[in-house]
Amino acid sequence: MQSNAAMEYDYSIVKLYMWTTVIFGIVGMLVGVIIASQLAWPQLNYWLGEYGTFSRLRPIHTNVVVYGFMISGIFVGFYYSAQRVLKVSIGESKFLMTLGYLQFFLYLIAASGLVISEGMGITTSKEYAQMEWPLDILIVVIWVLWGMIMFGLIGMRREKALYISMWYYVATFLGVAMLYLFNNMEIPTQLLSGGLGAWYHSVSMYAGTNDAMVQWWWGHNAVAFVFTVPIIALIYYYLPKESGQAVYSYKLSLLSFWGLMFIYLWAGGHHLLWSTVPDWVQTMGSIFSVVLILPSWGSAINMLLTMKGEWNQLTDNPLIKFMVLASTFYMLSTLEGPIQAVKSVNAIAHFTDWIPGHVHDGVLGWVAFMVFATLMHSAPRVFKREIYSKSLLEAQFWIQTVAVVLYFTSMWIAGITQGMMWRAVDEYGNLMYSFIDTVNVLHPYWVIRAVGGTLYFIGLLMFAWNFFMTATAGRKLETEPQFRSPMA
Amino acid sequence: MFHWLEKNPFFFAVGVFLTIAFAGAVTILPHFNKSAQPVKGLKPYSVLELAGRHVYIKDNCLSCHSQLIRPFKAETDRYGQYSLSGEYAYDRPFLWGSRRIGPDLHRVGNYRTPDWHANHMWEPTSVVPGSVMPAYKHQFTNIADTETAYAEAVTVKTAFGVPYGDDIQPGRAAYEKVLKSKVLPEALKIATQMKNKDLIARVKAGKIPEVVALTAYLERLK
Amino acid sequence: MNAFVMKGLAFAVVLMIATIVVVKQMHIDLNDPINWITILGALAIAGLSFGVAAKYMGQMKTDTASGELAEENWDGIGEYKNELPAGWAYSYLGVMIWGLWYFFMGYPLNAFSQIGQYNDEVQAYQKKFQEKWNNPSESTLKEMGESIFLVQCAPCHGETGDGLSGKAEDFTKGRTKARVLNIIKNGQNALGAFPGMPPGMASGAAAEKAAEYVAGGCKGKAPAEFSVCAGCHGKTGEGKPNVAPSLKGYDVKAVLTKGKTGSIGMMPSFVNRFTPVQQKALDVYVNSLKQ
Ligand code: HEC
Ligand code: HEC
Ligand code: HEC
Ligand code: HEM
Ligand code: HEM
Ligand SMILES: [Ca+2]
Ligand SMILES: [Ca+2]
Ligand SMILES: [Cu+2]
Repeated sequence: MQSNAAMEYDYSIVKLYMWTTVIFGIVGMLVGVIIASQLAWPQLNYWLGEYGTFSRLRPIHTNVVVYGFMISGIFVGFYYSAQRVLKVSIGESKFLMTLGYLQFFLYLIAASGLVISEGMGITTSKEYAQMEWPLDILIVVIWVLWGMIMFGLIGMRREKALYISMWYYVATFLGVAMLYLFNNMEIPTQLLSGGLGAWYHSVSMYAGTNDAMVQWWWGHNAVAFVFTVPIIALIYYYLPKESGQAVYSYKLSLLSFWGLMFIYLWAGGHHLLWSTVPDWVQTMGSIFSVVLILPSWGSAINMLLTMKGEWNQLTDNPLIKFMVLASTFYMLSTLEGPIQAVKSVNAIAHFTDWIPGHVHDGVLGWVAFMVFATLMHSAPRVFKREIYSKSLLEAQFWIQTVAVVLYFTSMWIAGITQGMMWRAVDEYGNLMYSFIDTVNVLHPYWVIRAVGGTLYFIGLLMFAWNFFMTATAGRKLETEPQFRSPMA
Repeated sequence: MFHWLEKNPFFFAVGVFLTIAFAGAVTILPHFNKSAQPVKGLKPYSVLELAGRHVYIKDNCLSCHSQLIRPFKAETDRYGQYSLSGEYAYDRPFLWGSRRIGPDLHRVGNYRTPDWHANHMWEPTSVVPGSVMPAYKHQFTNIADTETAYAEAVTVKTAFGVPYGDDIQPGRAAYEKVLKSKVLPEALKIATQMKNKDLIARVKAGKIPEVVALTAYLERLK
Repeated sequence: MNAFVMKGLAFAVVLMIATIVVVKQMHIDLNDPINWITILGALAIAGLSFGVAAKYMGQMKTDTASGELAEENWDGIGEYKNELPAGWAYSYLGVMIWGLWYFFMGYPLNAFSQIGQYNDEVQAYQKKFQEKWNNPSESTLKEMGESIFLVQCAPCHGETGDGLSGKAEDFTKGRTKARVLNIIKNGQNALGAFPGMPPGMASGAAAEKAAEYVAGGCKGKAPAEFSVCAGCHGKTGEGKPNVAPSLKGYDVKAVLTKGKTGSIGMMPSFVNRFTPVQQKALDVYVNSLKQ
């Protein structure tokens, strides 16, 4: 065992991303609360004129939480943990530092550009790929910079073998790069029209069913390589590190990783069930979704087993609580997804609230919980200060857990009910409900979701405050804690 | 073997890439040509309809509306004939959506009318009590961007051979001509059917409100 | 079973009961295969996730970490060389075999056609409901018609059939004398199912008489003035297929197949959307609305 105390790491880029995580988190989830409330109380659509309608705000919500909050959190985890598991400081290379700053500032421009253009209604409309071509180019540059930094650090590493988290970071980089390029093949319309029309407007290279296939090949794998793979990288570092426990099984890590890599890409058809894409592509999507349960659960089980015998840590360390519940919600969403991918179930679930329910099991329970744990574990090491308040963290955990349960149970019931109402026929074989009937029954569930969302947002504000106070006013630490994060 | 890869990041990355790379090609490519074929008699979107489609995208109606009728009896009873791949051959991007807070719109042109849309887009609850759809009053004053729509028509004609007439040509002069000879008259017809004096007056003055273009697009969905 | 697993499963059961109660309130038939498969799926999601996660929670309370550590170590993080959990490994193997079987043997490549399934669904539907309601009574027809009307027609004609103040035909008024006069004067070419009716088929007192007869629902013997009309509409206005619609009431079947252009818009065709019985039901219901 070597001691790590001797190593000094450079956290200047980590700090920058920490602040964007918090800020984008607040903005994105505030918009989430607003759109949840708009469905429950439609009069809330009119605060901001054309910019405040549900339909304009919804993509702002998804983009800000995914590309603002989540990606920032992932970069916090990457710049923090990659240095440590590779045993190399990014500060050792002026060049990599410069790239790092450049990447951050370009990221800030791209993320702000995305919010502004989305608000103005400049969008290609493809979910999770709304950016028009100028932003696409910027994003490619950012991604290439990240790749250079990652492989630069790997090149300089002192630890011969790559730790599990690094596997997942490398996969994130490659997966997103490949998918993003293909999904964004578009022609700016000024090029061929003799300079007519809006300069930023483009048209997709694919049409109709093909466009749908490419888009959901991306959309599904955006879930894979943004919502899942890098978050697994986080948990593989932060849970063993915070708890001081060794990872339960190398073999399980290995099989889960390569299984996930291979299987994920084939499952995208589950977003297009019962559509006009060929039947066998749909069948393939369903089958691979079911197989996907196992490599997904492999990682979660590996993490839960890492904690065996550590009940005391679970009861008295809120960070461990966040991460253990994250694994549980990861299991929930990776079983729920495959079952929603069964054709008969999808016939009910598709288009209904059950899908946003599934989404938020994953993002609120798994992704965001891991991001919170990432920031809070890193903060004492980055700022050399104790975590400001344990009880605040504890309260945040319980409030947000209740929030997630309210969110997912309400959407679960709403979705199943609405899906079945759409199909229901009376004794004569005639449709039983007009469309608006099936909307009006959802009102109570939309209210519950709005309440759950508000609770989650309150928890987030507690987190932001706690984090801010930790960074500025936490008790100073003399030495870096090895495992458990100190908290007041 | 795996442990060796973990010590040789280059090969590790190559291994990951190979593992993930081909799934897309295997599922998408075999049907690429077939899926791109239009059904018989499918007409490309007129410039006005394209402008309306851009409004649909800009105001992101697809966050609540699908355009994909699945082959279930319950769905064909409600919305009409299930959707066919060839009907989407000129849809760039596709607008199937992934959410149905409101009803499917793929054949809404069959059972709604311009004047109904005029009422509905101004205040949905006036025609459907209990609707949660926002009112889109700004579409009655914002002017549709027919120039970008025209640029798109030229682009898809040139790049993908979408069968537009000879009048769709690059350049401003050609655009102005089409605007006068086709787009404005078509818009006037829609505005008249919408029975809204303001809209008619605006179109007569050469400015097409977004809602008129949007209605032309919705009417086209059949 | 340990206490955690019990709690996990209890949560799943409560959630399922709540779901079923809500669904049942909407009079949903859970015997529909799609519906019960969904309910089972939901139960599996909640039960397995919470059950299995709870099992590992239990191990946190009782077990201890053990095994042989690998020699590597990253930033103080070690790794055990533990074997795979058996349940996981066998399930993995199991689903992979199932997947291969399904794709290559169970339902190989093109064995399934969703359109084929749709056709089967429609056939099964026809069989089930057509046989059941083969010879419906008048009052059954009316009820049946009302139920279709509320979902399919009410969006335009209003729940009471009053046409939403002029947005579509007002069935409660029916064809008024003024309107018939107007049609006689101007003709009409709105019903897709018929050629147009030329203007000026009658005028003056003759038109008045004919219109009166039509507005009254063509009851009894037709007045002499109606004979012009009878040429197309039949002796007592019962209509002739492909020539002219019935004037005894609304020619529902004709509008349903070919639609009607109204003064404020267009009624779409509902061709192939209803069975003959359903069309008859709508006919009965719509024509019962006149007050
Ligand atoms: C917040 C969700 C929401 C948004 C956003 C939304 N709609 Fe709707 N829409 C609904 C609901 C709910 C209904 C059903 C009730 C009604 O007819 O108003 C509906 C109905 C419709 C209908 C009638 C379809 C039918 O079969 O009755 C049309 C047409 C329509 N919307 C067009 C649009 C357009 C165009 C936009 C974007 C500019 C849009 N909607 C945005 C929720 C929405
Ligand atoms: C040349 C044949 C012809 C004659 C003669 C004729 N009709 Fe018609 N009538 C039609 C046709 C065809 C239609 C359907 C028109 C359409 O497509 O809307 C029609 C429609 C109508 C309608 C409207 C029905 C509806 O559901 O909208 C009324 C009322 C009517 N006729 C009354 C009369 C009366 C009264 C007379 C005699 C004075 C008369 N018609 C003479 C051919 C005729
Ligand atoms: C999208 C709107 C819409 C829907 C849905 C609709 N209708 Fe209509 N319907 C109309 C319009 C518009 C007219 C013509 C009104 C007029 O004459 O001005 C009409 C007219 C009619 C007429 C009168 C035809 C005649 O002979 O004059 C009948 C009967 C009718 N509808 C029955 C139905 C039935 C039954 C359904 C449901 C299965 C239905 N409609 C659904 C819009 C609709
Ligand atoms: C085994 C793993 C998973 C499978 C097989 C799976 C499957 C599915 C299915 C079938 C849908 C619904 C498609 C539809 O009918 O519209 C879906 C939607 C979605 N899932 Fe998952 N899911 C999995 C895990 C996850 C996880 C862990 C997350 C997030 C952390 C996630 C995020 C999403 C999102 C964001 C959508 C919505 C996509 C849209 O906008 O339509 N999924 N998933
Ligand atoms: C306060 C917390 C949040 C609230 C109240 C909230 C609310 C909402 C609402 C109301 C929707 C629209 C659902 C619908 O169509 O009915 C939505 C969609 C979505 N949200 Fe959130 N959200 C929150 C947090 C998050 C977070 C943290 C993430 C990701 C990290 C996220 C990712 C998404 C995604 C991907 C969708 C699109 C789902 C789809 O298209 O199916 N949300 N959210
Ligand atoms: Ca793009
Ligand atoms: Ca979606
Ligand atoms: Cu997916």
